[in-house]
Amino acid sequence: MDDLEFRKRALANPHDTDEDFVAATASTPERMRLVQDTQALDKRIADTLNAVTIPADLASRLKNHQPRASRPAKPVWTRYYALAASVVIAVGVILSIGLQSANPSAADLQLHDDALRHVYREEPRYDRATNDLSWQQINAVITEAGGHLREDERIKTMHIKFANGCRLASGTGAHIVLEGTKGSVSVLIVHSSPVKTRFDVNDPRFAGKIIPFGEGNLIIVGEKEEPLETYEALLTDAFEWVI
Amino acid sequence: MSDTPVLDDRDKKERYETLVDALYQDVYRYAYWLCKNGALAEDLVQETFLRAWRSLDSLQNDKAAKAWLFTILRRENARLYERYRPDLVDIDDQSIADLDENEPDQRLDRRMLHEAIATLEKDYREPLLLQVIGGFSGKEIAEILNLNNNTVMTRLFRARGKLKNIFIPGSDSDDDLDVADLED
Repeated sequence: MDDLEFRKRALANPHDTDEDFVAATASTPERMRLVQDTQALDKRIADTLNAVTIPADLASRLKNHQPRASRPAKPVWTRYYALAASVVIAVGVILSIGLQSANPSAADLQLHDDALRHVYREEPRYDRATNDLSWQQINAVITEAGGHLREDERIKTMHIKFANGCRLASGTGAHIVLEGTKGSVSVLIVHSSPVKTRFDVNDPRFAGKIIPFGEGNLIIVGEKEEPLETYEALLTDAFEWVI
Repeated sequence: MSDTPVLDDRDKKERYETLVDALYQDVYRYAYWLCKNGALAEDLVQETFLRAWRSLDSLQNDKAAKAWLFTILRRENARLYERYRPDLVDIDDQSIADLDENEPDQRLDRRMLHEAIATLEKDYREPLLLQVIGGFSGKEIAEILNLNNNTVMTRLFRARGKLKNIFIPGSDSDDDLDVADLED
């Protein structure tokens, strides 16, 4: 085995036990040192990779097919977790956090990530939706999420193309998507601990807001030029919690 | 209702729970290093085991369970996250246990290595994860990644070369290896 081949095999698998590799290793001190050094590195790599903290109770939750837990939910909510509410009006893609006035807590960031993941998952579904939903359909989702949307002519004139319950690890809520002036706009209404203070959610393409909203949070995501505050004002006026 | 389905369900549950106990930690570690985020990793693991439960009957040999689960997880990661977050490079290191609290040098080493692994190109990182976390052979990795064995070995070589270079600069640059000759 020439040096090039030996070197490749030593780094590809320093624990190679094939006879030819073992013999080649023993043939020179340099080769032995290379293998020993690489094995030592490998131990460091293994230690680092294995140092990941496994979430508590993961095994039991997997056995019970339970989702990732974050906060205790009220019993009634556990029954309706599939009907979470995200009033989402936007094509959500990659969201990163732009802090405006205060640092979000870890829980706030978790909510952000949960919302992001949800948008990722749902985007292919609502992107294909073209029909306007009826007010009844929208409010059915809102109701399951623990809220009520008062009839509002300004909202009724909007093209609302998707409404579905959702379950985020941070909480449950309703997910509604409508067409904004620049594209889809998303607002999530999530029953979870309100964030400490409102903060921006955005990425190079999208902008958004996470806003403490009574019993939960309102998350609005849209294109950069979308007037998100308009939707915030409308929802703030029309929405109320009934839980 | 006959007794047979009940027994079948019980057997299935028992088999599934054995699988969870034996493999959930490795599956989680693999998920974590694949997507580099603790919350995403947990969702991926949940999704993976849910799918495993649904199609448990298709697993003929429990010895192949780890490769089966890792393959499901890779597919779910690609389906759910990868195409949406191709630029995610920050790693959530709150999920990393600090096992060397009393040894600052080791801690520094681990942090450097941690960052180095996290920023390895995916083509190099993935076979390394499968080898070190999964304990798979080159051939098994080739099957999981749908690559040929030579390509896998070359990528493993390059992955370790890059990591080694961090600790011993210049020690193992892969410049002296004509990789084009090795990858098929």
